[in-house]
Amino acid sequence: MDKLIRVENLEKSFFDGDSELQVLKGVDLEVNKAEILAIMGASGAGKSTLLHLIGTLDRPTSGKIYYEDEDITTYSERELTQFRNTSVGFVFQFHQLLPEFNALENVIMGKLISNRKSGYAGGQKLNRNEMNDRAENLLESVGLSERLSHFPSQLSGGERQRVAIARALMNQPKVILADEPTGNIDDITSEVVFEVLLKVNEELDQTIIIVTHDSRLSNQTNRTVNLVEGKIKY
Amino acid sequence: MKFEWFVASRYLLSRRKQSFISIISVISIVGVSLGVATVILVIAVLDGVEHGLRDRFLANEAHVAVSKFDRGFFDNYKDRIDAIQKVDGVTSASPVVYTQSAIFQKGSQRIEDVIYIKGIDPEVEDTVTGFSKFVEGSIAFQDQKIIDQASFLNDESVTGGIVLGSRLARNLTLHQGDILRLVVNLQEDPHSPGAYLPRIRNFVVIGFYESELAVYDSRMAFIHLDTAQKIYEEEGSINVILVRLDDPEQAPTIGDKLIDVASFTPIDMPITTTWLDTHAPLFAALELEKMATVIIEALIILVAAFNIASTLIMTVMEKTRDVGTLRTLGASRGNIMYIFMIQGCVIGMLGTLLGTALGLGVCKLLSTNVIRPSPLIAFATIGLLILLQISITLKLILSRMKLKKIVMLVFWIVGITFVLYCLVQPISLEELGLSEIYQMNQLPIKINWFFVGFINLLSFSICWLATIYPAFQASNMRPIEALQYE
Repeated sequence: MDKLIRVENLEKSFFDGDSELQVLKGVDLEVNKAEILAIMGASGAGKSTLLHLIGTLDRPTSGKIYYEDEDITTYSERELTQFRNTSVGFVFQFHQLLPEFNALENVIMGKLISNRKSGYAGGQKLNRNEMNDRAENLLESVGLSERLSHFPSQLSGGERQRVAIARALMNQPKVILADEPTGNIDDITSEVVFEVLLKVNEELDQTIIIVTHDSRLSNQTNRTVNLVEGKIKY
Repeated sequence: MKFEWFVASRYLLSRRKQSFISIISVISIVGVSLGVATVILVIAVLDGVEHGLRDRFLANEAHVAVSKFDRGFFDNYKDRIDAIQKVDGVTSASPVVYTQSAIFQKGSQRIEDVIYIKGIDPEVEDTVTGFSKFVEGSIAFQDQKIIDQASFLNDESVTGGIVLGSRLARNLTLHQGDILRLVVNLQEDPHSPGAYLPRIRNFVVIGFYESELAVYDSRMAFIHLDTAQKIYEEEGSINVILVRLDDPEQAPTIGDKLIDVASFTPIDMPITTTWLDTHAPLFAALELEKMATVIIEALIILVAAFNIASTLIMTVMEKTRDVGTLRTLGASRGNIMYIFMIQGCVIGMLGTLLGTALGLGVCKLLSTNVIRPSPLIAFATIGLLILLQISITLKLILSRMKLKKIVMLVFWIVGITFVLYCLVQPISLEELGLSEIYQMNQLPIKINWFFVGFINLLSFSICWLATIYPAFQASNMRPIEALQYE
C-alpha cells in the first residue's frame, strides 16, 4: 500500500523554566493512503501532541515527518500555513466552529482563505457559487442539508461535529486529523459522527487519523496503534 | 469579498455575545467623531476670524503706507505719487493727512472722544481703499450748502463735511446734519504769553463710515484733504502716501522700492508700513491659537484611539479560540493581523467620516442666516424621541416590527439633525458685546478644505496606529495555544 505519512523518531518536549517535560520519546509511525487509523492511549500519553505535530500546528523537538516522502519539518512558517490549508483537515473535540458564521460559511472558510488572488499555489480556485455548491454537497453528505444557514448555537453537539467534518473535507486534504471527535458528545451521537467518518473514508478514500480512547470506536478502524509513555506500542 | 473582510465585517456587525464590546465600539466611534467635528469647527471659526479680518483689512486699508518716521509733513507729494504709481505691482496711490483730534459737540464743553482724522481726496482715495463703498450718506465734503450750515467760527475755508465712523456716531448720538467740533491743534494765547488756546473748527456730519471693523468704525473720521491741509497750515503738503498693490502679499518686497522712487532723503527718515506689519501681532496670535487647538484636538482623537485599541484588545481576547481555528484552517499571521486591523480601521474611518459630516454640518448651520424653528420645538423633539425609545425598549409599541432598531436609528439621526438645525444658528458677536474685540458682527466661519483633508488623514492614521498592537497580539498567538485558550 502507498504510504502517505511517515513519522521517524519524533520527540517533543515542553519547557517550563528549567524543567523539561518530554511527552513524545521517539515515535515511529506510518500511515497508508485511504487508511483510517486510530491512535489510542491513556490521558496524557501524548496522543493529541502527536496529532498536532502531524497536523503542523506545532514543531517537534527532533525527528522527521514525511508526507509522500516530503519532509515537512523543514518547512518555513509560511509553507506550513499553506500546507495546513491545502493538505490537512482538522476535527477537534470541541468542534471549533466560528460562532458568528452559519454552517455553510464555516465549511467554506478554509477555501476562502486559499482562494484569494495571492492564494496558495496548487489549490483549486473556485468562485463563490462553486464553493457554496461544494459545501452544500458536503453538508448533505454528512446529513445536514436542512441546516445550511443554521448558526453553531442553533445546532446540536453531533450536528456541530458533522459540520466540522464537512469543513475538514472542503479543501480535499491529504489527511483528516480527528482529535477525540466524539469526546464531548453522548454515545448515540458518537455513533452517528463516527459513521460519518467511516463513510467519508470509504466513499472518498480519505485518509483519517483518529485520536480516541474509546475502544468501541477504534475497533471499527482499519488499524489501531497505542501510545504508551510517549512511544508507539503495536 | 476577501476572506479578511468577510470575517472582520461579521465580527463588527455581530451582536451575539459581545454586546458590551459593541457599546465600546459605538463609544469609540462617537469619541473619534467628536474629536474630528470639534477640530473642524474650531479651525473653521479661527480661519473665519483670520480671513474675515484679512478681507476687511484689505478692503479698508492701503497695502503700504509711506511716511516720514515721525509722521511729519512733506511737500512735492504729487511728483512722489506719480513716481510710486510707476512701480511694478502698484495699482494706485493717494495723498493723506493723518492726525488725531479731540472732539466735542456744539454747545457742549466736554471733550467726547479722541479720534483719528484722515484728510483725503475722496476720488483718489477710492482707488486705494474703496472709501465711498463703506459710506452711508454723502461724501460731498466741500458742498457750499454744507459749509454754510457749519456756522463757521472764524474761517470758512477750514470747515466742511465730515464722515464719521458709524459706531462713533452712534456712541455720540450724532445724526446727519449735526455739527461737530474738532480741537485741531493749539495756538499761543496772544493775551497770556506761554499759554495755549485750542484751535477749534466746526464740521457738519454728512455721512457714516461702516466697515464692520471696530477700529475704524469707532475711532475714525474723514475730512477733505484740502481742509486738513488748511487746518494744519500745511497747504501743498501731506504726511502719508497710501499705496494699493496688485498682490497684497507682495507688500514687504515692494514697500522698500517705494521709498527709493519717492525721492526721500535719508534725513527724512522715510519708512513704509505694510498692512501685515500693522496687524502682525494679531495674525501671529491667531496662528498660535490654531496650532494650540490642533494639538489639543489631536489629543482628544488620541484618547478616542486608545478606546479603539482597548476595544480591539478585548475583541482579540474574546476571539482567541477563533484565531486558533482560523490558523488551523490555514490563515496566516498576516491574515489574522489584517482581520483585526480592518475592524479598528472601520471604527476609525466611521468615526472620522461622521465627525467630518457633523463638523461641516454645524459649520454650515453657523454660517446660514435663516429663521429657525423655536428651540422649544427642538426640546419637544428630543422628548418625543426619548419617549419613543423607552416605549420600544419596554415593548409597549412596535414589539413585532422586525427592523425597529434600524427605524429607531433613522429616527435618532433625523431627530438630532433637526434639533441641531433648530439650535445651531449664526452667533451674533454684536449681541454678545464682542464685536469690538473681534472686529466683526457675526462669528465668521471659513472651511479650510485642505485642513479638513489633513485632519481626516491624521485621525485615520492615529486610529490605524492604535490597531497595530492588538492586531499584532492576535497574529502572534501560536495556533495550538489559541485553540486551547479557555
